[in-house]
Amino acid sequence: MIDNILKSIDNIPAFPATVQKVSALLNTDDYSAVEVANVIKYDQAITANILRMSNSAYFGAHEKIYTIIDAVTFLGQQNLIRAVQTAGVSKFYRKAAKGYVAKASDLWEHSVAVALMSQILSKRVCCRENPVLYTAALMHDVGKVILGEFVHESFQKIMELVSDQGYSFLEAEEKIIGVDHGKLGGKIAAHWNFPKEIEDAIAYHHRPDLLKDSESDVPWLVYLSDESCLMMGLDGGVDGLAHRWVGEGLTRFNLRSKDLEQSFILLAEDLKRAKEMIAIV
Amino acid sequence: MSEIVVGISDIKWSNNKDDVLVTYALGSCIAVVVYDPKACVGGLLHFMLPDSSLDIYKARENPGMFADTGIPLLFKACYGLGAEKKRMIVKVAGGASILDDTSFFRIGQKNMTAMRKIFWKNNVMVDAEDTGSNYNRTVRLDMNSGKVYVKTSGGENKVL
Repeated sequence: MIDNILKSIDNIPAFPATVQKVSALLNTDDYSAVEVANVIKYDQAITANILRMSNSAYFGAHEKIYTIIDAVTFLGQQNLIRAVQTAGVSKFYRKAAKGYVAKASDLWEHSVAVALMSQILSKRVCCRENPVLYTAALMHDVGKVILGEFVHESFQKIMELVSDQGYSFLEAEEKIIGVDHGKLGGKIAAHWNFPKEIEDAIAYHHRPDLLKDSESDVPWLVYLSDESCLMMGLDGGVDGLAHRWVGEGLTRFNLRSKDLEQSFILLAEDLKRAKEMIAIV
Repeated sequence: MSEIVVGISDIKWSNNKDDVLVTYALGSCIAVVVYDPKACVGGLLHFMLPDSSLDIYKARENPGMFADTGIPLLFKACYGLGAEKKRMIVKVAGGASILDDTSFFRIGQKNMTAMRKIFWKNNVMVDAEDTGSNYNRTVRLDMNSGKVYVKTSGGENKVL
């Protein structure tokens, strides 16, 4: 079974070059809006999604935006990175992760929620937003897109381990199928040549404590954002809250209970305004 | 039959036999369901956090967000449609937790404690509950029969 799963990674379409080009361009200091627009405009799907998102309540446009150059100017660097990433990766979530969720949009909604939460927490603990973190958070459950089919077949066996033998859902996936959705997501990230920091954050998003040779905060913030969304009922599927709590997550950032509770409120607000981002899948 | 969806931090109430009140995916949040069979009045609250002192402005704008502002409003809204406290059946579901979460941040536990305190102070008895554990729940109130259904993620739909 595991061989089939790993083989199917090769069939995953390439990560959109537009997203990587735009991210690279925006990371240089002297880019012009025209240059950025020129990269985006050749990708029809991303252009359409960016225009739709620019006109959403989340990004707060008051006047209608019709052209990609207007969108680039209006959104500004941070929002543009966010919009391009969201628009670019949504296609990977169009295939329902059968076995975890009833419809494809459920997993996408969870992914967007975790991505938005990651920026809320990043602003709180590092006083800034973080595009690398945004990508990692948006893609953290990408392993589910492939693993879903296999979880569907083995669901009874997995649930027996979870309900009767004290396994976490992740541990049960590993035991029954041979790989868990985090690790599999990490392999997909490697297939796309993502930076190691993102690959690790995806692979260890439920167990950042097992990631020994990394000082990065990114896996921990993805972890906290994901767990927070699970608590809020913005779930990623049948695994529900059956994941292990890693206490260091809060102490690492000196987060109090009140801080996380306030982040819940901020996320609820963000989600109301992010309907267009969710609607693109 | 029309399905009325109750979102996160939301309250809905009804006296229409054809309605079904439903709230999806509770996580650590809690659904409080009340029903007066004689008046055929029922309501459903989906609260997210225990205590409104966290953000009193938010609580004023959106009382259903917190246990201490949402629960009183749920009861009052139903009284407004003719429900009486002594006849009201109260059922609760949700308050799930992450596995082995023993931290100070156990929001499911805190939600349950806050809710129980409010019920205790106001002499409200809970008739049935499905709380805790580590799965998501979807809750429905059928206004016609007063029956409450709880569906767990990947599981069956059961009468509470």
